[in-house]
Amino acid sequence: MDIERFGEQGIRVILGQAIDDATHESVRRFFLYTSLLGIPGITEIIPSFRSCLICIDRERTCFEDLSELLKGMEDDWRGMSLPDVQRIEIPVRYGGDYGPDMDFVCSYSGLSPEEVVEIHSGAVYRVHALGFMPGFPYLGPLDRRIYVPRQETPVLKVPQGSVGIAQLQTGIYPFESPAGWRIIGRTMVRLFDHLHPPFSLLSFGDIVRFVPA
Amino acid sequence: MIEVLSPGFLSIVVDRGRQGYGHIGVPSSRELDRHASAMARYLVGIPEDAPLIEIMGNDLRLRILEEMTFAITGARVKAVLDGEPLRPWSAVHAKKGGVLRVAEVLEGLRYYMAFSGVIDVEPVMGSSTTNLECTFGGFHGRPLMKGDRITLRDIREPVGLLTVPETMIPSMREPHLIRVISGPEADYFSPGSVRFLARRKETVLFKATSRLNRTGIRLEGEPLMFRDDAERSIISEGLLPGTIQVPPDGHPIIALAERTVGGYARLATVADADMDALAQIRPGDRVVLSSIDIAEAERLWRAGRDALSFYCKKQ
Repeated sequence: MDIERFGEQGIRVILGQAIDDATHESVRRFFLYTSLLGIPGITEIIPSFRSCLICIDRERTCFEDLSELLKGMEDDWRGMSLPDVQRIEIPVRYGGDYGPDMDFVCSYSGLSPEEVVEIHSGAVYRVHALGFMPGFPYLGPLDRRIYVPRQETPVLKVPQGSVGIAQLQTGIYPFESPAGWRIIGRTMVRLFDHLHPPFSLLSFGDIVRFVPA
Repeated sequence: MIEVLSPGFLSIVVDRGRQGYGHIGVPSSRELDRHASAMARYLVGIPEDAPLIEIMGNDLRLRILEEMTFAITGARVKAVLDGEPLRPWSAVHAKKGGVLRVAEVLEGLRYYMAFSGVIDVEPVMGSSTTNLECTFGGFHGRPLMKGDRITLRDIREPVGLLTVPETMIPSMREPHLIRVISGPEADYFSPGSVRFLARRKETVLFKATSRLNRTGIRLEGEPLMFRDDAERSIISEGLLPGTIQVPPDGHPIIALAERTVGGYARLATVADADMDALAQIRPGDRVVLSSIDIAEAERLWRAGRDALSFYCKKQ
């Protein structure tokens, strides 16, 4: 575990270098432990692939005190038992109007649309982070056979529920939004509901499978 | 009650921001100029966490349907109440039926309006601020439109009609000097290209493009050069308001208050003391970046905070 200061209000807790299961598990343990504890002065804990970003309220704590506290807790969070993850199936309509970039993915990969669907829906993905927009999951790892680069210029608007792929990740746009990923399908499942806790369908660490609908 | 006769270019209800949901990607969406917002609330005597209105653009027109006091702070504007010029950064008393008009924004980008009552909107996830992109919070999750009626609760007269002294009103004239602290991926860049990060006396000049909104400010200038052996993106990770990210094209983007995670190299973070200045940058303005260390940034932040609380207590 490395603790680095980031700006005046950020603390990066780095729990590994690569995107792998061991790193993910450490991030999840650290995130759950520190969130449950409710440490005064911490305003946000944002878990991602290999680190957590902690935001602090400087009226209530400081970098030095908090990093000492976090170092002292390492044995505790490493030893905690982890709750089960949710497993969630997301029905997707692939291709056609729902997946305007399917042709690009096929020509880039040399695969047919059926093969792309089979590969994309044949794997399980982990929620490595939620961000960009509320409820947007960064899911991985994507099969190398359907690797595609991001859009050079983001598309100005994709509909709510668009399912995209880029590099070795896949994700779902919870709202109509600009998009830099290649859109291959759409789901009618609602990923974010601001009126009802816990607001986001998915949580950090959940396992997602796409089902052709 | 207030009736919107014309909402200007963009008027939204904001507050100090949504907090504690960063792990599910929910950004703060807070008021961008916190000094101007705090002063507006102080002038009309409402709580520190009460919502107010953040406005961009000319020709805001409001009809004030009940007798109350209001204040306009932030960007320098030319405003009239029932045809009479009024003084910004001051508490102003309006009679029932009074019509307020902001004719022109002279300097800066965003101005703030607070009333001597609490804007009655339903909080979402603990905050009354508007998330424009996801259309929730604030006034029905959207900007104010012609014909909207905003209800105010607990209208009361503030203790006196105060005016903020000139010394407490920041200049918003360009070029904007923005001080930054070196970021986690600063070493991805060729030292020659980011000399301003290593040497205190160096600065670098950019221009704000028209790609400027509450999510971020895209700058243009001499593109920043990545080191040959450095990655052009990072494994996506958390961002702070004010984080300066650099996409592969070398043109920096300053994040404001609508993103929690990013995938571009984080060159630097804007000092908290200069965050309010970011809110007032207009498209085309010159932006000068210079670097300071964290200790200096903290001193500046503390000085600003102390000045504000000293002023607000003294009255």
